[in-house]
Amino acid sequence: MSIYLPIAELSVNIILLLSIGGVVGFLSGMFGLGGGFLMTPILIFMGIPTNVAVATSANQIVASSISGTIGYWRQGLVDFKMGGVLLIGSFFGSILGVWIFSRLVVLGQIDTVISILYFALLTSIGLIMLIESSQVIRDRVRRKTVKRKIHYHNWAHKLPFKMKFYKSKLYISAIPPIIIGFVIGILSATMGIGGTFILIPAMIYFLGMPTSKVIGTSLFQIIFVTALVTLLHATTTFAVDAVLAFFLIIASVIGAQLGVLAANKLRGEEIRALLAIIVLGVAVKIALDLLVEPNEIFNITVIRALF
Amino acid sequence: MHFKIFLLIKLFVLFLISSASALVIGSDEEEIYIDANFSGKNLLVFGAFYSDPSQARDDKSDILIEVVGPSEDVVIRKKESFFGFWLNSKSVGFNDVPGFYYLSSTNEITNEFLNKNNIGLLNKKDTQLIDWSALNIDWGNVKNQKEKDTFYDALIRTKESEDVYRKVNGEIQIIDGNLFRSYIEIPNTVPVGQYKVNLYLIIDNKISNEYSYNFMVTRVGIEEAIYSFSKNYPLIYGLISLLIAILIGLSGAEVFKRFRKV
Repeated sequence: MSIYLPIAELSVNIILLLSIGGVVGFLSGMFGLGGGFLMTPILIFMGIPTNVAVATSANQIVASSISGTIGYWRQGLVDFKMGGVLLIGSFFGSILGVWIFSRLVVLGQIDTVISILYFALLTSIGLIMLIESSQVIRDRVRRKTVKRKIHYHNWAHKLPFKMKFYKSKLYISAIPPIIIGFVIGILSATMGIGGTFILIPAMIYFLGMPTSKVIGTSLFQIIFVTALVTLLHATTTFAVDAVLAFFLIIASVIGAQLGVLAANKLRGEEIRALLAIIVLGVAVKIALDLLVEPNEIFNITVIRALF
Repeated sequence: MHFKIFLLIKLFVLFLISSASALVIGSDEEEIYIDANFSGKNLLVFGAFYSDPSQARDDKSDILIEVVGPSEDVVIRKKESFFGFWLNSKSVGFNDVPGFYYLSSTNEITNEFLNKNNIGLLNKKDTQLIDWSALNIDWGNVKNQKEKDTFYDALIRTKESEDVYRKVNGEIQIIDGNLFRSYIEIPNTVPVGQYKVNLYLIIDNKISNEYSYNFMVTRVGIEEAIYSFSKNYPLIYGLISLLIAILIGLSGAEVFKRFRKV
């Protein structure tokens, strides 16, 4: 049973589509990740054009981050003020990102740039996860517990435009969160990701936010970044595929809920290590596609079709 | 059986209209609709060599069927290795090339003949003979003739691999000496728009008679409506896509909340 995707202009199997959405949703629910970093490359492997994969992933992340934010908000774990400041940066970042994206489409370099960005991103995520999970496993074997500092004092506290963030118990300059938001906005627009795995460490280490508030706040701001990116792509690159997004959203929302349930019952580290290996596998595949001489060195793009 | 009766009636009608012509043709389609389940279609083209059915087909006469799809502008990009990475480098823009091209004949037709009569895109055996002036090409950085030829070949090759350019012979069936019919495969990847069918009766390596008609390829259905809506009202389309995401996201959280309480 297959369905025709009107914007991607190809037919795909519905079961395959739902499985991908479900599995990515499950992993994101389980590990509290956005899932965009896996969704976009998998869609590209399926043969969906890069621009459609990126724009549609952003649309899908809107749904999953809303779903996630509500859960954290009910527990009072969202710092709306910090989210708002991050968003100021993200707003300009995503506009710049979509502009860069459409320039690259015109130049014909979008596929290459996306591949290189994803290779760098997935390799770093995969390695970090692998190292982290193996350390946890080792520490568990040695019956050690790792103590972590709750609060860091660094250069973020010395810059001007200081603001009080009561929820996060912080009094820091607004500049670092705006810069972080800006970078996330660019990445979100060009790669179709929410950017949690960059945002979360940045918020903990650069801003010194308490870990408990970090996930909810990052999810909250991701709703708005990806919503803006979706609108920008819909109006400038025309690459948002509503049919593709619909099936991915349905499956990923259900998958994410199951993932959260599973996370409460399963031991995370082994699965995290497995996910790290999957992520590295995807990175290797992307690298091979760039490095191996293609069978057909010419490719064709239809610029304008006369009706 | 049904087909044969239909064919004969239609031929008879055509015979009455154009009794002087030495080539009569018909087709079963004026419009092809492509919907989500469209998996390609065989377009039937049929006719007779001579309008007088009693006149047998001359061994020297051949039929050439050409189908030309709507024009489009394409860019061919060539990948080159930069420090081990295969990246798009040079590009050539071909403007107003047909989005679909099909050439079929009863016998092998020589390139000389096609070039002389200005027919065909697929006669690329000898690129020197290609009428470059017929195409509007933006060569970019590509300067030398040999490299230009590789881009031209790449255009034909990629279009052939998408099944939208084809050159065949011997696929035209001849019935009772005078009648012919041919099924032309229209794959689901074809562009929409107006298609022109040209038929040539060739006797002694010369075009003795020709006949042309048009048919339309149109996309229909909900997918087509979504596609044109996204192009015509991008902001509203984007907002609706967002709304769907928001609603499913909210209901997902709601369902989950109840699920958790249980």
